[in-house]
Amino acid sequence: MKRRPFLMWGCAHCALLAASAARAQVTPPAAWTQPPRFAAPHPGSDEGGLWAQMAREEQRLRRGASVIRDPKLDAYLKAVSCRLVGDHCEDLRVYAVRTPLFNAVMAPNGMMQIWSGLLLRVENEAQLATIVGHEAGHYLQRHSVERLRDAKSRSAAMTFFAAFGLVGALAQLLAVAGLYSYSRDQEREADRVGLVLMQRAGYDTREAAKVWDNLLDELKARPGADPEKDSILFATHPGIAERRDALVQMAQPDGEVGEAALREALKPAQPMLLADELARGQYDQTIALLDRLVAREPQRADLRYTRGEARRLRADGNDVMLAVDDFKQTIALAEPPPAVYRSLGLVYRDQRQRDAAVQSFSRYLELAPDAADAGMIKSYLEELPS
Amino acid sequence: MKATIHLSRVLLLALVLALAGCATISKVERGQQVVKDRLVVQLDGPWNQFDGTLAGTWPTWTVEGQTVDRLVFVVGLKDGGELAPPLPGAKDQRPLTFRANMQPHEIVALYQAFLTRDGSTFTLDKLEPVRFLEGSGFRFRFSVVRRFDDVRISGMGYAAVRGGELFAIVYSAPRLGFFPRYEAQIDKMAQSARLRG
Repeated sequence: MKRRPFLMWGCAHCALLAASAARAQVTPPAAWTQPPRFAAPHPGSDEGGLWAQMAREEQRLRRGASVIRDPKLDAYLKAVSCRLVGDHCEDLRVYAVRTPLFNAVMAPNGMMQIWSGLLLRVENEAQLATIVGHEAGHYLQRHSVERLRDAKSRSAAMTFFAAFGLVGALAQLLAVAGLYSYSRDQEREADRVGLVLMQRAGYDTREAAKVWDNLLDELKARPGADPEKDSILFATHPGIAERRDALVQMAQPDGEVGEAALREALKPAQPMLLADELARGQYDQTIALLDRLVAREPQRADLRYTRGEARRLRADGNDVMLAVDDFKQTIALAEPPPAVYRSLGLVYRDQRQRDAAVQSFSRYLELAPDAADAGMIKSYLEELPS
Repeated sequence: MKATIHLSRVLLLALVLALAGCATISKVERGQQVVKDRLVVQLDGPWNQFDGTLAGTWPTWTVEGQTVDRLVFVVGLKDGGELAPPLPGAKDQRPLTFRANMQPHEIVALYQAFLTRDGSTFTLDKLEPVRFLEGSGFRFRFSVVRRFDDVRISGMGYAAVRGGELFAIVYSAPRLGFFPRYEAQIDKMAQSARLRG
């Protein structure tokens, strides 16, 4: 059986939203009752020990290098979670974490991590609420505690801790292997709760299915990829069409989508999100993602540049030609990133178009004289044959 | 789910063996050393080479320990060859393929993809031309936030393409303490590097 770490990392908690939607029809979402706020567990109990461990990890996360320190983004994420969970608002703490993969993680003490790869991919607040609501569902249903009590073997317990991003080579290996996930029943329950929370908060629940669709499109982008056939996730769950249909049936029209609010909240982080996405080197997925983002916001120079750069680096078929098209269009838009001139220069240098290369590299150095690669670019200029 | 369970046991066993000291460690003496029969370097001090699960495809040395600092030698990676095999369970991911016509920026992007495939983040701090392997090459400095322990790593690499093959020496270590301690030594070693024959 093949596995897809992208899915494991990205979908272990979130993407099963769609998977369980079909079953959610059996139990009407509105039937769920939100529990009252939880008291802190007794320190001597297994749950108390778990909370203490998570509190230490939360301290480490706060001090660490990967948490995104953006007060406005923090406030926005907090507002979304509070809108969803109501009375539990004070108990949930949401952290944006700089990890360019699609994932969110919920710890039993109320610490929620939203990874930057997910932030780049959601298109509006309703889609973000789909994820936050699902993770909140795990918290409200206390799935972690159930999971801990099920972890009878040592390896299972370690796997459990690895799921929360705990430090250490063991945690990393296990996380990479995608060994941990909540049980399928727990995922279904979290999906159902998440959709209830979205609906009660006034979000457009039709957006939940789109999260799923968009992720699928990316996974299919790799030549020869067949998520339905290859992925452990798809292999063990109902067909995609069934899930999508179920979501469509459950959707509540007339809710809020919140596209502008999300865009505004993420604006300062966009350069970092896009650079990190490009750095992954998964150009098939990145191009599929950027095709979608460019179609939604064709006026954004940063998106078009990133797509062009992904094409230039992939360099399959007519990629370089398409990359040049993207770069030229980027330059025609407002606020093109200086790096677009470097990318054009690299193409022209490779194609032995001296004058065009010189012009592009010179413009890059003019706009970014202190760039990390300025020395390299200057050497290109010096060595280009006259 | 059998495949998943099987993989978990394999990984756990590998980790237990590594942590128990069962990974192969061999001392690399100071003086002249030949890496993979082709790359000759002069060492000011001893290193340790480790092999096994936690090492990669390429010869990897350490002074402080395999989870602390790493010196990786890429020796003669041919056109179309892969910098590293896919991570376990990541066969669907795009391979890290080297092409002989890659420019320095593209080679750095390739190494960047290698370092970030576990979710770590990478920032290029410097890219400049240098003399390496008795000819033209380049040197790059970078920062990584390592996903598995959230530690800030600093790194530096020397690289060049000779006869269509990639040669690189890349050192990385925690930014505070370890990296500055060995930076000058790595520079000196890289500057001594030459190809055999």
